[in-house]
Amino acid sequence: MAAAATAAEVSIPLGSGDNSMWADVSLLLEDACSGLRDGELIHGDNFDLYAAMSALEIMDPKMDSGMIGKYFSVDEAIECGAAPIPISFDKTVDVQCSIDIMDHLLACEATWHRGHSLAQTVFSCIYILRPERTTRHALLHSYCRTTRATCKAVISVVSDARTHEEEDLFTMTYGLNLNGEDEKCLSILNAVEETISRKLRACRTSSSGIKSLEDIEPLQNNPALEDGYCRAILERLRFRKHFYHILMCLKRPHGRGMQLARKHIASCIVELKAISRPLRQQTIIKDRITSPGCQPIGFDSSLNTRLSASTPPRSINILSWNETIEYFLKLLQDLDIISSCSLDNSLEGILSFIVQFQKCQPDLVARAHLQCLLLQDRKLFGRDTIFSVIAKAAGLSEVAKNNEIENLECIVQLGQLVMNLLRILCTNSAWQRRKLGKILQDWRVIYMQLELAIRNKLGEDCVHTNENIYINSLKQILLWVEEQAYWIASRFLTLGFELELYSSNEYGMVYWYIYVVSVKLAEKMHHRMTINNRVKCRGKKKKVSGNDVPRDFQFPPAVLFLQSHICLAEGLAMMLAALKNEKTALEGRTPFNTDQERFSQLFELLQKAGFPDHISYQSFEGSTRNVTFSTLAMYNHFKDAQRIAKEVKSSFSGERERLSELRMIEQVAEHNSIAMTLLCRVGGSLDPSLNLSFEFSHHPHFATAVVRRSL
Amino acid sequence: MEAGVSGGEGEKAEFEPSEITYVSYGGEHHLPLIMSLVDQELSEPYSIFTYRYFVYLWPQLSFLAFHKEKCVGTVVCKMGEHRSTFRGYIAMLVVIKPYRGRGIATELVSRPIRVMQESGCDEVTLEAEVTNKGALALYGRLGFIRAKRLFRYYLNGVDAFRLKLLFPQPHIHHTLLQAAQEAPTQRSSSDTTKESH
Repeated sequence: MAAAATAAEVSIPLGSGDNSMWADVSLLLEDACSGLRDGELIHGDNFDLYAAMSALEIMDPKMDSGMIGKYFSVDEAIECGAAPIPISFDKTVDVQCSIDIMDHLLACEATWHRGHSLAQTVFSCIYILRPERTTRHALLHSYCRTTRATCKAVISVVSDARTHEEEDLFTMTYGLNLNGEDEKCLSILNAVEETISRKLRACRTSSSGIKSLEDIEPLQNNPALEDGYCRAILERLRFRKHFYHILMCLKRPHGRGMQLARKHIASCIVELKAISRPLRQQTIIKDRITSPGCQPIGFDSSLNTRLSASTPPRSINILSWNETIEYFLKLLQDLDIISSCSLDNSLEGILSFIVQFQKCQPDLVARAHLQCLLLQDRKLFGRDTIFSVIAKAAGLSEVAKNNEIENLECIVQLGQLVMNLLRILCTNSAWQRRKLGKILQDWRVIYMQLELAIRNKLGEDCVHTNENIYINSLKQILLWVEEQAYWIASRFLTLGFELELYSSNEYGMVYWYIYVVSVKLAEKMHHRMTINNRVKCRGKKKKVSGNDVPRDFQFPPAVLFLQSHICLAEGLAMMLAALKNEKTALEGRTPFNTDQERFSQLFELLQKAGFPDHISYQSFEGSTRNVTFSTLAMYNHFKDAQRIAKEVKSSFSGERERLSELRMIEQVAEHNSIAMTLLCRVGGSLDPSLNLSFEFSHHPHFATAVVRRSL
Repeated sequence: MEAGVSGGEGEKAEFEPSEITYVSYGGEHHLPLIMSLVDQELSEPYSIFTYRYFVYLWPQLSFLAFHKEKCVGTVVCKMGEHRSTFRGYIAMLVVIKPYRGRGIATELVSRPIRVMQESGCDEVTLEAEVTNKGALALYGRLGFIRAKRLFRYYLNGVDAFRLKLLFPQPHIHHTLLQAAQEAPTQRSSSDTTKESH
C-alpha cells in the first residue's frame, strides 16, 4: 500500500456540540482504494470473513445511519419549523391538526406495543420529545404528558414481567427521557377537559338560542364545527384519562384495584368507540393520517436513528387507524378478562385461567399485567405465600401446614419452580413451549430430592406422630409434584398443535405420546384425590355423608374429563398407525433419516426428564406396529370418548369452559367414529376418488378425519 | 436465512429434468451468478462479504443448477461446531420462478446435505418463515421437523420455524465404542467457526 498521506486536522461544527476533533482522511482512503484490486479483501487477526459480514458501507443509506433523515438532530428539526407551536394561527386548523397529532400518536403507541421500538414510534413525535415546548398549548401539552406517563407505566409493568428475545425491544428507551412523569399529568388533563366541557356547553346553549351567562371563548372559529370538535377532543382526552387510571388500578397491590379497573375499562371502551367513528361534518378520511406523504405535523421517525443500533433501523409501517382501534379494543378486552380473575382461586384454578386466557392470544402488555397481578413480592396476588399455595394444592391438612416442611431446601426450591411456572405460562406461546420443555428436568430433580428427603426421614429410628404427619405431607407433595410435571408435559405437547409445529405425518407419534402422558396424568390426579379425601375424612370428627366422598370404584369428574381426552388421543394414534401400516414400505420414506430420528427430536425434552420413564421409539413402534383396520374394528375408542364426554357433562354444569371443551370432544369423537367405521369397512384403502385429511375444525389440538372427493 | 422456492406464477420454462446439471461451487467465476440470483429472488440484502464468508470457507457446500448455459438455482451452506454438536446450516436456497415446482430445489439442497452427513454432521438446520409453505413442504419431505417457533423472527413481524434434520446415529457395539474413545477422533470439516444461532 502506498504511504498514507498525512491527514489534515479540521474542525467541523456539529449540531451536537461535543468536543471531538475531526480529521480529513479523504486522501488516505483514496490510497487505500487503489491499493486493493477487485476481489481482494483485507484480512487481519480481528477482521476475518465472519467479521466482514457485519461491515458497513459508508454513505450507503441502507447501512450508514448518518445518511438518512432530513435533520441532524431534534433541535435542528425544531429550528426548521418541523413542530410549530401553535401549530397554526388559524384556530380551526390548529384544532384539526391537534386531533391529527393525537390520533397519530395513538397509532404510534399501538405500533410500539406490537413490537417496534419506542424510538421509531411514540418518540418520533417532536412534541413528545420536548414536552416543555408545549406548555403554551394546553391541549397538546396535557395529551403528550399523559401519553408519556402512560408509556412509563407500561414500560414499568413489562420490565417487571419476564420478557425475552424480540419482546426485550419493548422496554428499550434508548436514553430517551421519561422522567418526571407521574399522576400529576392527570390534573393537567382534567383542567383541559373541564375547559373544553365548558366550551361545549356554551356552544350548545348558544345554538339553542339561550344567551350564556359566562363569556366563554370558543375552541375554534367555525361555529358550525364547534360541537363536533369539542366532542372529538373530549373523547380523546377521556380515553387517555381512563387508560391511565386502568394502569394505576392494576398496579395496586393484592389485586385491590381490579374492580375499579373494570369500571375504567368500560368507560375507556366507550370513548374508544366514539373516537373510532369518523368526525361528522368533516371530509377527512381517517386513514389519511398514515397514508404516504400525509404525515401529520411534528413527526419524524428518522430523528432517533443515531440512538439505536449503528445500522439504521428498517423503516416500519405505523399501524393504520383501523388496526390501531382494533389493537386497543383487544387490549382493553384482555385487561378486562384479567381484572375478572378471582382472587380466591386455587392454583389449579389459576393455571386453568391462564391457559384459557392464552387462547385469545393476548399481546405483551396484557400478558405482562397478568403476570404482575399473579406474582407480587414472590406471593400469589401479593398475598399468599407460595408454600401455602402448594400445601393447598397438594391437599395438606391444616396440622401438616404448620410443620417445618416449609423450610426444607427442596420445598423452597419447589416454590421457585412454581413461581417460575406461573411466569412462563404468561409468556408468548412460542417461547413458552420451549421453556416448559426445559423446566421438566428441574421438576424431575425436585421429585428426586423429595423422594430422598422422605427416605432419609423414614430411615430415622424414632417415628413420632409428628414425624408421621411430616412424612405423609412430603408424600402428598411428592404425588402432587409428579402430577404437575405431567400437566406441564401435556401442555408442552398440545401447544405444539397451536404453534403448527407438527406436520401431518407426525400426528400419529404425537397423539400416541399425548395418550401416554395423559394416562399418567389421570392416574396421578386420581391417586392424589383419593388420598386427599382420606386425609380430609380423617381430619373431620363428624361422619361424612356419602355424597361427599366418591366411592372407590367411581372416578371423580375431573378424572373422567381427562379420560375422554385419553380415549380420543388413543383413537387418533391408532387410526393414524393403521393408515401408516397400510402404506407400502416405500411410501412416506424420507431420504436422510427415519421416524426414529424424528421421534427422538420431537420428544427429546420429555424423554430426558423421564416423564414418563422408559418410553422410547421402540415402545411406540411396539404399540403400533401391528395395528390394522381389522383389529381396530373390534374396539372404537371414539365411541368411548363420546360416551364419557356426554356422561360427565352434568358434573360440570355452570362451568362454561369445561362444558365447551366437552362439546368439542364429543364432536371430534363423533366425526372420527364415522370416519373410522368407513375406513374399517374398506380395509383402510379408500377409493382413489376420495381424499382423507386431518383438520382442526372442531378442536384446537384433536384433529377430525375428513373424507372428501379428490379434485 | 431464506428460501425462495414457492410461488412462481407466470410463465413456466419448458425442460426435461435431465437437462438440469448440478455443479459444485468452482471458484470466483460462480460468485456473481450466485449473488445475482439471490439478490433477484430473496428479500434480505446481503453484502458481498456475506457470500464470500460462505463460499470461501465451505466451497464444497455450495451448488449451482444450470439449464443449458443459464444458472437457474443455487444453494449456499456452512457447517461447524455449535455447542456440543457438529451442525450444518442452510443459508440460502433459490430457484428462479419459471423453474420452480419441478424438483430442482430438492435436488439442489440434497447435495450439500449429503456432504454434511458424510462430513460427520449430527444435524442440519435452517430457518424458514411460517408462511413459506413451499419451503416447509420441501424440507418436510426430506425429513426435517419444526423444532421451534421463533416469535416475530423477521422484521416484518412474521414468525419463523427453526427446521432441523437429525441424521441417524450409527448403532455402535459397546466394545467398539470403548476402543473408539481410547483413540483420538477427527472431524472432517474445513473450519469450526463458532457463532450462535
